[in-house]
Amino acid sequence: MKKALAMMLAMIMVFSMVACAKTEPEETASDEASKAPVVVTDDAEVGLEEEEEVSIQTSGEGGGFTIAPLYFYTNKYCLKEGIDNLGYTSLGYFFFFNATGKEELNLCIASEPETIDPGLVASVDGSTYSQHQFEGLMKYVSTNTAVGDDPSLLNYQIAPGMAESYTSKTNEDGTITYTFTLRDALWSDGQPVTAADFEYAWKRIVNPETASDYGYILDGIVVNAAEIQAGEKTPDELGVVAVDEKTLDITILTECPYFIELCAFSSLMPLRQDVVEANGTAWTDPANIVVNGPYKATEWVHDSVIVMEKNANYYDVEALGPEKINWYLSDSETAILQSYKAGDFDFIETFPADEINPLKESGDCFVVPYVGTYYIYLNCENIPDWRARAAITLVIDREHLVTNVTQAGEVPATGMVAAGIQDSTKADFAAKNSEGGVPSMYKWLQENCADPLGLDLNNYEDCCELATILLEQAVADGFDVSKTLYYCYNTSDSHQVIAEAVQSDVANVLGMNMELTNQDWNVYTNGLAEGTFGVARLGWIADYNDPVTYLELFTNGNSYNYGLWVSDEYTDLIASAKALGGGAERDAILYEAEIVLFSGTMA
Amino acid sequence: MTGYVLKRIGISFLTLLLVAAIAFALMNAIPGSPFYTEKSTPEMIARAEAKYGLDKPLPVQFYNYIKGYFSGDMGVSLKMQEGTPVADIIFNQGKFELSLKIGIAALMVAVCLGIPLGVLAAYNRGKWIDSFLRVFTTIGVAVPSFVMATLMLIVFAVNLQWLPVRSEQLETFSSCVMPVLAVAFYPMCYIAKLTRTSMLDAIGQDYIRTARAKGLKTGKILFKHALRNSLIPVITYVGPLTAGIITGSFVVETTFSIPGLGKYFVSSIMNRDYPIIMGTTVVLAALIIVMNLFVDIAYKIVDPRINLAKAED
Repeated sequence: MKKALAMMLAMIMVFSMVACAKTEPEETASDEASKAPVVVTDDAEVGLEEEEEVSIQTSGEGGGFTIAPLYFYTNKYCLKEGIDNLGYTSLGYFFFFNATGKEELNLCIASEPETIDPGLVASVDGSTYSQHQFEGLMKYVSTNTAVGDDPSLLNYQIAPGMAESYTSKTNEDGTITYTFTLRDALWSDGQPVTAADFEYAWKRIVNPETASDYGYILDGIVVNAAEIQAGEKTPDELGVVAVDEKTLDITILTECPYFIELCAFSSLMPLRQDVVEANGTAWTDPANIVVNGPYKATEWVHDSVIVMEKNANYYDVEALGPEKINWYLSDSETAILQSYKAGDFDFIETFPADEINPLKESGDCFVVPYVGTYYIYLNCENIPDWRARAAITLVIDREHLVTNVTQAGEVPATGMVAAGIQDSTKADFAAKNSEGGVPSMYKWLQENCADPLGLDLNNYEDCCELATILLEQAVADGFDVSKTLYYCYNTSDSHQVIAEAVQSDVANVLGMNMELTNQDWNVYTNGLAEGTFGVARLGWIADYNDPVTYLELFTNGNSYNYGLWVSDEYTDLIASAKALGGGAERDAILYEAEIVLFSGTMA
Repeated sequence: MTGYVLKRIGISFLTLLLVAAIAFALMNAIPGSPFYTEKSTPEMIARAEAKYGLDKPLPVQFYNYIKGYFSGDMGVSLKMQEGTPVADIIFNQGKFELSLKIGIAALMVAVCLGIPLGVLAAYNRGKWIDSFLRVFTTIGVAVPSFVMATLMLIVFAVNLQWLPVRSEQLETFSSCVMPVLAVAFYPMCYIAKLTRTSMLDAIGQDYIRTARAKGLKTGKILFKHALRNSLIPVITYVGPLTAGIITGSFVVETTFSIPGLGKYFVSSIMNRDYPIIMGTTVVLAALIIVMNLFVDIAYKIVDPRINLAKAED
């Protein structure tokens, strides 16, 4: 017995040695191949003619890749059967004012809002309450087309709201004046809506004393807005003038393709000066609030429910849907879902991610586009060689990330500009810039590095191969690959699993050591501003539908350029695009800018 | 006794001031600002801080807080309910009332069930009922309240549909049952364990043997003589527990969608909502101080041999 065992062990040992001996030449070959410059042999031609050697020679100087986009956001919701005509825009707002099927809707879209003052709201839920209580110069109306698979959810688009019509004319100094003529409309207390209400609200939001999160929204658009925010001019100097009760003039610096859309933005709703000033911060209490929109808050039990009822003075009250909308406020995803299942809620937007698939199967849950990008910053000071940054970008398996990690129907990112953002021809920017092959963030790499090597960056294995090559070249030029990179994220289970997936990809393919550091939100953002990270996460939801909302984040000196990337070429491109009002030339510059954001340099 | 109480009240004010100073120092020591958002710039943060006086020197800010408290002004929320007075959030929006309601109900359940269960276990020492209660209370002490809350929610609200999913304002008896039991379960089991241990100790004492020898009834021996002496550790535990239950119900409040104070006590720190941090801390500290005073007085009632004034010296 012992002899047999010894024989077997000996045989296993012999086989192992033979197997090892066979792999040796391959290992040597791959070691050779990994040395820069890269030499690739076209296998098809081996033995037929002379070996064709292809190589790429990159330089670590300059280059982009200060960010690695991971995925485009989606919105998910659950809706009970029998409720129809809900509205949606890909900016993330749901509209319930035309909903049919129930006289009293019970919804839960978030927890207690920080505020429902339109001038101060900064969150999507706060904006949604704003959109239901107030109406700006423009508003959102149904296009009668379904957003996705759910026929109950309709796409909403911009249409005249409080403004019956508008005209524009170019002034001698190059500025453009929009003249809005207001419709006959009343506030909920019966007083007429006037141009002065808009003038007050717009000046209030740019006033530094208001300290609105969206105080900057008119910067670079409306005359003097930026100077007022900077404290160099007074709010009275804003280019917004109530000519008479029904006429409002707004002067903008130059043509702005998204200005009209901005006129429906929740922060730019008209406000009643007398009501706001008489009640201080309590003016939004149901007892004090005066609105001009379709619904009005009649009860607000903090942390429990906001009740809104039809505003009888709304000009289109006949077309409104439910008599009453109860917005329940809760921050427990489990409790929200259980309430939905128990029939207490008709519509919910938040629930545990691992419940999405069962809810989809039961026909309750739907996923719709949401204009936002989840990305990571790659700190240019801690990862100074663009090839190392590009290598990290390349090895992140986005398909795996959205399918197995986030699992909420997200879409793998193709570039920084989120899906849903349109160019001047209404074409999807992300889709168009990725036309003809690889994602826009890989276009430069495909053309300059992958094509010569016969690699296809639509293929994850090829991405990893190119990443390895680029990293080796960076290492050959002095990049210290042994240095630990700190991946920082604000404490959250969802950010953690994403960080772990990225960490695993980077370690497995590149052998780089990434350490995860989670911090509470305030500590985290402090670290972002101070640049004390190697890699750090952030998400960016668009405020308006224009690529600039994403691309200008990475210009020299921009507050959000946390990766500390410096590129005069890129900054000039964005500046020249912003100077143009729209059209093909501006589109072309912005498409080019996104490519520059993800480009490197050849030796 | 009166002199002792007055002296304690005087010391309490000093303690409160010290608590406020420490809380203020700690909250300013941690980095961050209530105005950090994904889209905030340094200029925006500076403007907002100036609006709420956070740009002033720290001693001035602290002085303003304390001055405000003396005039009943606890400042306004910077983030969680921007601009709303903190006193309104704590007292007028019914948050304190709701948390107190759950806390007191849970405390009553914990004490009223925990002590008899402990006595029962001690009296039946070594029998099956003692073993059962030991297992039961050990489970109760080991299982966190959020597990208990979620379990009850799924079983009684979602599956059996006996009780409502959302408790909200705790207006009906059925809406109170689960939150109160979820909060009470741990302290009830802990009190039962404490009572059992101290009862066993008391039962073995000479005076109990004497009482038995005199022919007193078992119930009288247990509840009049043994229990009274066993209550000191329980009272020591119950005092701070009262305040703890109110903040400790944060998870339970979230699970049952109850708009109580627990959420604000915890979330204000994450949100750096300084006036709410200060307000909830001071209110809670005051509560703990008052409860500790009651506990000391309760010692005297339970055991007249204790001399509070002397102990203080």
